[in-house]
Amino acid sequence: MSIMEYNGGSCVAMTGKNCVAIASDLRLGVQSISLANNFPKVFPMTDKTYLGLTGFASDVQTLYELFRYKVNMYKFREERQIEPKTFANLVSTSLYEKRFGPYFSFPVVAGLAKDDNPFICGFDSIGCIDFADDFIVSGTAAEQLYGMCESVYEPNLEPEDLFETISQALLNAQDRDAISGWGCIVYIITPDKCVKRLVKGRQD
Amino acid sequence: MNSILTKYTEKASNDEDQCVKDERFQNNFNIVPVPEASMYLRSLTDETQNRSCLIKMNHGTTTLAFRYQHGIVVCVDSRASAGPLVASQTVKKVIEINPYLLGTLAGGAADCQFWQTVLGMECRLHQLRNKELISVSAASKILANIMYSYKGYGLSMGTMLAGTGKGGTALYYIDSDGTRLKGDVFSVGSGSTFAYGVLDSGYDWNLSKEDALNLGRRSIVAATHRDAYSGGSLNLYHIDENGWQFHGNFDVDKLIWEAKDTEGSFAHIPR
Repeated sequence: MSIMEYNGGSCVAMTGKNCVAIASDLRLGVQSISLANNFPKVFPMTDKTYLGLTGFASDVQTLYELFRYKVNMYKFREERQIEPKTFANLVSTSLYEKRFGPYFSFPVVAGLAKDDNPFICGFDSIGCIDFADDFIVSGTAAEQLYGMCESVYEPNLEPEDLFETISQALLNAQDRDAISGWGCIVYIITPDKCVKRLVKGRQD
Repeated sequence: MNSILTKYTEKASNDEDQCVKDERFQNNFNIVPVPEASMYLRSLTDETQNRSCLIKMNHGTTTLAFRYQHGIVVCVDSRASAGPLVASQTVKKVIEINPYLLGTLAGGAADCQFWQTVLGMECRLHQLRNKELISVSAASKILANIMYSYKGYGLSMGTMLAGTGKGGTALYYIDSDGTRLKGDVFSVGSGSTFAYGVLDSGYDWNLSKEDALNLGRRSIVAATHRDAYSGGSLNLYHIDENGWQFHGNFDVDKLIWEAKDTEGSFAHIPR
């Protein structure tokens, strides 16, 4: 039994034309038993920056609260909101602080920079940043998500098309993973608004 | 004439070890020539002992069967999982041994399929030798004895044998430890606890056929929803004194949404 497969869950982020999308499944389980279908793994850090956390659920919650604290302190000191790229480096150093007793989670950051440039990146559990300009995947369905994203992704999609693409990628990858699923939540972030949509998935 | 006669005559033998040389009792499997062969074989398949074991057993399933006044209802899911990966959503977990006997598949798929096919062969031989249908009791005993003779070698099988024969309908639970239990209600697999919840609260000997089929279906639906390693679709069978009939393959996800609309259950799933 691996600690990363104890609770289950997966997350994916994609870039589009002046927009980013980040999505996660909603399942919380304990090994084979599914307990909750309202456990999203994507959290808003600022209006334009979102953090996705997969892996061990206790660390998902702990890391969310840790980064919420650090982002709030940044806002007090700098009197402005944190940029996605800066936040990514903050995540990286926070994870490396626990190099010899790491958090069991694989974070994903997605957001729009000051000039509305899309930004996404992923991390391993000890903070190595993986900058990508197409998509980032994470979680127990990561292998399936890699396959789905490689086939359905195309660059410079409009927000509506990006929503369809990311939803299909996550939904079909979840169906091949026993411990992710029970619906998914998708955030589409554009310069003027962020739309959060609940997508119905297979309930088995 | 002589050639036909010799061809169809069993050689009479006074050798009292004849029965041992009978094909049925011969172990045709090559066992690895190491000391403690059974421990070695178990280490090949048991994932809890050895994570990188060579033979990955696809566990995770929900199967159920229950006996009631009009016969037996057998209902199974169709997901095969290799760890967290869903290997298939379309596995046939009911093995049609003959028109009167059904066996369910739980544990190791290859073990179940192979030994239940062997059982089918033995049942047919019994029918030819004795000119009557084998009883479910005798058929289950054959399978249980085979399992017991391979006890400790790492076979994994938790099957239910349901059928009709001499003596009427009967339901047996047989597993690879050599257990053989006669009963009226059984559920086997990782999702069995969830299925028992629905099955036990709805079960009655005097159910009508339609209610019994619905109960079997609804129990599997409950199990596939909560158990991560069960899902896909369900296969429903009914057995009465004339043998088994297949009552359909149903997508479990569709049934969950239907149950939500008609019964009002699954209220925790947002619409």
